[in-house]
Amino acid sequence: MAALASREGDWSTAPVSPVVGEERLRAEFYLLLAHLLARPPSAELLAHLASLDGDASPLGTALGGLAQAARATTPEAVSTEFDVLFIGLGEGELLPYGSHYLSGFLHDKPLALLRGDLARLEVASAENNPEPEDHVAALCEVMAGLIVGAFGGGPGLDEQRAMFSAHLGSWMQHFFADLETARSADFYKRVGALGRVFIAIEAEAFTLA
Amino acid sequence: MDDNETKRGLGRREFLRRAGLGAGAAGVATIAAAAIGPDAIAAERPKDGGYAETEHVKRYYATLARF
Repeated sequence: MAALASREGDWSTAPVSPVVGEERLRAEFYLLLAHLLARPPSAELLAHLASLDGDASPLGTALGGLAQAARATTPEAVSTEFDVLFIGLGEGELLPYGSHYLSGFLHDKPLALLRGDLARLEVASAENNPEPEDHVAALCEVMAGLIVGAFGGGPGLDEQRAMFSAHLGSWMQHFFADLETARSADFYKRVGALGRVFIAIEAEAFTLA
Repeated sequence: MDDNETKRGLGRREFLRRAGLGAGAAGVATIAAAAIGPDAIAAERPKDGGYAETEHVKRYYATLARF
């Protein structure tokens, strides 16, 4: 495996990940979803989303919907929406954690199992972070990292499939469907639709490899 | 890669392309580079045989830390 850019490295001259084409785009979609679910989009990101074109494919249709929603909102409105959905007064409208969806409780056994698998992959959270690893954004970033081989050792599709099956596939579509129909969601309905379609594609694609 | 693996790989690629992970979605890649950050997919190798703290996971957590 080719080396990836280090933290200190200059990305513009760093070796490019050997992962290209459809597989690379999978990582980009995971990162986009992770970014949108960890924080509200900046004005710059919203403008980029607004400039995207959809197409007739399932993902292209969802992407076109997201672009349309980005054109129809403002950074301030999306930021307010994000707070109501995910932060709220003590608790947001949605709880974007695998353990909540899988066991009905936060910080329950599914999180412990995930932590075991992350330790095996030598992935750890940064210090002073209060969010558990089963946050939807964290899991999307882990998948992106596995796809591009960012965690060293170069795990391939088998490792991705194992992570997806154990920690994403069984609940993330439900979460995105909830986001798609959340009472307080507007722009984020389209994020939910994109995520739901993308995770369904992922689940199917893993059966073909 | 034997013939069966090659066929499965082609089936997966074809499926992904038809689902939308093709040229039409390439604009998403420019977002990661332009708006999320050029080092969105950057990595740091494990140190001392311990846990790796990848740049993008760390960035994510650093942002979430404001909660």
